[in-house]
This record gives sequence, structure tokens and C-alpha cells, in this order.
Amino acid sequence: MGKLSAALSVLDKKSVLQVVTADLGAGRNPLDLIEEAREGLQKVGEEFEKGNLFLMELMRAAQIFKEAATLITPKIKEKCLGEEVKGKVLIGTVSGDVHDLGKGIVASLLECEGFEVVDLGVDVPEKIFVEKIKEHNPQVVGMSGLLTTSIPMMGKTVQAIADAGLKANLKIIVGGGVVGEVDPSRIGADFTTSNANEGVRMINEWTRKRV
Amino acid sequence: MKEAMSRYERLLTAWNLQEADRVPVAPINCYIIPYLEGLSIKEMFLEPEKLVRATVNCLDICGDEVDPNITTLDHLSLLGKSGWDQATLDWRIWEDFPPKGNIPSFYEKTLLEDYDDVLERGFATILYNKKICQDVFRRSINELIYNEFEYPKIYAKAWRKFVEDNDVPLLMGGRACHPLDLLQYYRGINQLTEDIFERPEKIKAISDLLVEYEAMRAMKQAMIMGAGEVPGAEIIFFVNGGPPGMPPRIFDEFFWPYAKKSIDLFVKRGFRVRCHWDNDLTPFLDTMKQITDGLPRGKILLDLEKTNMKKAKEALGDRVCILGNVPSSLLVYGTPEEVEKCCRKLIEDCAEGGGFVLSTECETPWDAKRENVRAIIESAEKFGQY
Repeated sequence: MGKLSAALSVLDKKSVLQVVTADLGAGRNPLDLIEEAREGLQKVGEEFEKGNLFLMELMRAAQIFKEAATLITPKIKEKCLGEEVKGKVLIGTVSGDVHDLGKGIVASLLECEGFEVVDLGVDVPEKIFVEKIKEHNPQVVGMSGLLTTSIPMMGKTVQAIADAGLKANLKIIVGGGVVGEVDPSRIGADFTTSNANEGVRMINEWTRKRV
Repeated sequence: MKEAMSRYERLLTAWNLQEADRVPVAPINCYIIPYLEGLSIKEMFLEPEKLVRATVNCLDICGDEVDPNITTLDHLSLLGKSGWDQATLDWRIWEDFPPKGNIPSFYEKTLLEDYDDVLERGFATILYNKKICQDVFRRSINELIYNEFEYPKIYAKAWRKFVEDNDVPLLMGGRACHPLDLLQYYRGINQLTEDIFERPEKIKAISDLLVEYEAMRAMKQAMIMGAGEVPGAEIIFFVNGGPPGMPPRIFDEFFWPYAKKSIDLFVKRGFRVRCHWDNDLTPFLDTMKQITDGLPRGKILLDLEKTNMKKAKEALGDRVCILGNVPSSLLVYGTPEEVEKCCRKLIEDCAEGGGFVLSTECETPWDAKRENVRAIIESAEKFGQY
């Protein structure tokens, strides 16, 4: 593990930014830097899933990554280097629910992982999900919700996507407070979770398989 | 089998870590009762007699105590504006229930932009902020006087009569938030996380201020509700266990000292404290053993959402009464048989020797099946006999 990923994995923001600034100044390839920062973030995610780190630390790691990325990304653009986008994920909190945190964490982690994320916000009606899927053609759709009442709404949204003939071409993941306790078949989704990192890992698996 | 006790005797016995006639049972029924009785959120918040009448009609799902929905007591009060309502400032008092209307929800956004301003000028910067509390600036003097002084009395009178008529104690008399809970409403959880790592001293300074502020507010509520006279009104409901997923260092440094300070403050003034703490606090049970240090027995109730109840009983069962934690998802999507199985396990794990009240997680979801809530009550009667 390099200095940058090691610093990120222990949430040492000062060292992360120092290494990034020094390495960019020394002419290091910014794509290598982004990859190394991503390794550190993945290490935090693994430790979170093992129960060795906590949600707040996962959120903090994503915050530090994003700060590092604000220094690195202009250099990538400057050198006209193309960073490979892993895939496109469309994400939103379903109609009737305004909770933003879980969706925000997943969106941040996905962005850090190199996905293009289309965030529809909160309280998103089924028809908007359908319209935006047609517009953006994502590989994965994520639906979030904290309330128990969000679960039937997730089912309705999945149904609306199916009715529009869009479901066969994408994977659907749903997440939130109690959602992980519910069988995906009840909602018509491919996966349910209450764990942000687990959700990101599943999306990585799906996109590697090129859904 | 022991002689049947009154509901309050049963609760007092459990709170004092002794075996009552049976395990007390008390789901936290906040929004489900108005929903089942066809009240709107507006009626629930502004017409206490209707809420009380609805509760009487739902006594079959209440068990040994009822939630007087203290949030509604000072929804229109200026003091209240600094508490729970801050979480729900986008929320209107709806004429309906979901899905047409809404119930309070957490809005992840930054309301408090400057800690220093609050530390310097107090909560006036939040309370009297046109951007945040627009309705306050639209009120007449008469409305202000009514909301601050008359309405709380009307509210308390309705619930006092309920307790007298039905012999069912209240689940709380006042409500206080932990500083980190208030800060997650004011700053959003994402921003608060950054603050904790980058501005720890500011968080500590403002937490000191918030402990005092919330204590004053909660004790005022409890006194209005009849603490010392109305059974259960002496309880301060102390929410909500801080932001989700705190690591031990953050818990020890930013949550626990202020939790303990608040608890001590209430108990030393004669109140009982019901810590209504969400999230999974299992990793912190050892630290939480300090909860009763320097305090008399029977004054602290620990109401847990996702914490492992068996481990909580093992760690803290000789110190505090624990309450919990039938899952919300089970109450909405499960069957009465599944609820019964869950309750039986909780009773087996936690009831021995007393000091346990069978209850819900955070609260009974408004869309829970009535027969599932009923199954909690019946399980206590069926499996909870001492």
C-alpha cells in the first residue's frame, strides 16, 4: 500500500492532501494518484464490512477522497487523460420519503469508485425514475428510503420501470434503514441492503459482468 | 403467580429492577393511533382532546403506558422550535396522513451555518431567524401568548384526565435531545461528521450549551404535564442516541460525556430518564456501565433500538431497566406468529430477575398491522408471567 492509500485508510486528511500536492508537483501521473486514493477508500470499505470500522469513518473517508480528487481532477483534465468510467448509476429516494443521508453516502462512494452517478434527489415519483432511465440509460438503478412506507413505493417504482419495458436492461438495488431486512422479491428488485458498502460492492460486481 | 398489579406498579417494579406480576409491555405508539382513528396530522398536533379520544379507542394496542406525543405539546412554542421541530422545518402540519400528507422526517441540510454565532448570541440566531422560522414572524401577540402559555395547559389537562380515567401512566412528561442529535438536525449528518473531525472543540463547546438548553426545555414540559402528580409525567424522554455509526472514539469523546451530564442533571432534580437510543450501541455497552454512577437505583430506563438486547441485559441488567425492541419491519410485514416468536425470545433473553419492559424499536410504524401490535401485548401476557 502506498503512502496515499495508507494515509486515507487511517483517515489522515492532512497527510492525504500533502502527498497529493507533493506527488502532483513532482509530476506523478494523476490517474495513478486517483487509483491509489481509491485503494485506500476500498480498504476502509473492507474494514467497515468486517465491522472493524464504523459508518461515520466510511463517510469521513469519502469526504477526504473527494477533497483529494478536487486537487487531482484538474490535472487529469489538463493532461487530457481520460479516466475510465466504470458505469452509470441512477439513484434517488422514492416518493413520499425525504431522507437523503443513505442515498448520499452511496452516491459519494460510487463517485469515488469511478461511477457516473445521476442523483435524482429525494421524494422522486415513479414516473421521474422512468423518464430519467430513458434519458440516461444507466446500468444500475438505486432506490433509497428510510421509512417502512417506502418499501411498497419501491415496489411500485420497480413495477413502473417494468411496465415501461426498461427493467430487462438494468439491475435494481434498493437500500435504507429497514430495507435490508426485506426480501428483494417482495419489491421486485435484484438486491436489498441496509449497508452502503455492501451495495457498492454489489454494483461493482454487476458492472464487471456488464449487465 | 403473583397478584395482579396496576400498570404503574408493574412499571415501577420493573424500573426498580425487580420482578413484577408479569413483564410490562409498552409499544411506543406515536403516529399509529391517530392514523388508525382517522385523525389528520393537524388534528393530532392541535386538538389534544381528539388525540386523547383516539388513544382511548386504541387501548388494546397500548399495553401498560401511552405515549402522550410530547412533540405536539410545544410544536408551536418558540422553545420547541429549537428541539425536534428543527429536524422537520420543511414539514407542514398536514391535513392528512401519508401518502397524501407527511409525518416528520429528517431533512439532511445545513440550517446552522455558524457555530460561533450561536456560541456568542445563543439560540436567538436560530429561533428568530426569518429564513428558518418564517411562521414565528407571522404570528400576532395573541397567538404567541396562546401558544406559549395557554395551549400547553390545555394539552396537559387533557392527558391528566386520560390518566385518571383509564389508570394508564404516560410514557413521558418531557423530551430532551442529546446535543449530537440536535446538531445532526442543524448541520446534517454528513456535515456534522466533517465538523467532528475538523472542529472538535466547537462541537464540545456547543454541546455544553445544548445540554443546559434542552434540560430546561424538557423539565418545563414535564412540570406542565404534571411531574410528581401524574404517573409517568416525571419521565424525561432523552433521544436519540446520536448520529448513526459512531466509532468508539467519537462515542467516548462526543456522545457519552454529554449523555451522562444530561442524565445526571435530570435525575438529581428528581426526574426519571428514559434514554431512547437508536442505532446499534452494542460496541459501547462497557462504557455505558457508567450510566448509573453516582445515581440512585430505578431512575434510568434504557430504551434500545438496534442494540443486541441479550448483551445489553448481560452488561447493564444489574444497573438499569432495559426496554425494547420488536423490529419495525416485522410489525409492518410480519405475521402475529412471527411477532410472538420475536417477543418470546426477547422475554427469554431479558426478563429474568425483572428490569425489562417489552417494547418496540424506535416506535410502532404508523402502517404497522394492528394485529401485530396486539401480538406484542398478548406475548407479554402469555410468556411474561413471573
